[in-house]
Amino acid sequence: MLDETLLALADPTRRAILARLAEGEARVTEIAAPFAISLNSVSKHIRMLERAALVERRREGREHILALNPAGLDQAADWIEGQRSLWAWRLGRLDAALQEEP
Amino acid sequence: MTETAKKTETVRVSRRFEASPERVFDAWLNPKVAGRFLFATPTGTMIKAEVDPRVGGHFTFIDRRPDMGDVEHVGTWLEIDRPRRLVFEFAVPAYEPTRTRITLDFAPDGAGCALTLTHEGVFEEYVTQTNHGWGMILESLERALQG
Repeated sequence: MLDETLLALADPTRRAILARLAEGEARVTEIAAPFAISLNSVSKHIRMLERAALVERRREGREHILALNPAGLDQAADWIEGQRSLWAWRLGRLDAALQEEP
Repeated sequence: MTETAKKTETVRVSRRFEASPERVFDAWLNPKVAGRFLFATPTGTMIKAEVDPRVGGHFTFIDRRPDMGDVEHVGTWLEIDRPRRLVFEFAVPAYEPTRTRITLDFAPDGAGCALTLTHEGVFEEYVTQTNHGWGMILESLERALQG
């Protein structure tokens, strides 16, 4: 899923969509309006964002409302935390090495 | 929320040691000691640790991991200011030749030493490794998190 998240973020149109949704939920047609590409293309981008769990969709009557899912970005943050833990573990090993060699 | 995005670019870890700053400092440049912790992983075995301890000098560490085989880390010392500051950059060429930078700040703390490690570009490293183009991604993360 992390790879999907990063892939989904690696496109300027999809990032623009996320930036728009970061301001608040929006209809698919509202999302598509500023882009000089077809509604169909925008829909494909949106589906990629949904697959990466970055965007959630719900229906209100005939309208599809999109919302940002910040939890989708947490995975990237978790990976960073893993790196932090690894360095903390290494410093613990350094501490042990220093104590063994006075 | 911009703060959150910025944190993802840099990893920072601090630890206090019951040893002088000089001893803690020297541990990073001594391959016998460095091989025991630097680039080590909980499941790996360090099979090679070579260090040329001068500015511009290179190092090589190979960690043999049960799941990934031999993982080679190579790097260069950029700043050696004993016992205050040590800066190096490194990469894992098998995954991604782009280097990331580690800065170590050593400060006396009573009879011991407080060490702060800063790893810059961590997220970039991972993302280029997956060939997805990193600069834009960080930018987008920041924008997405601004909501």
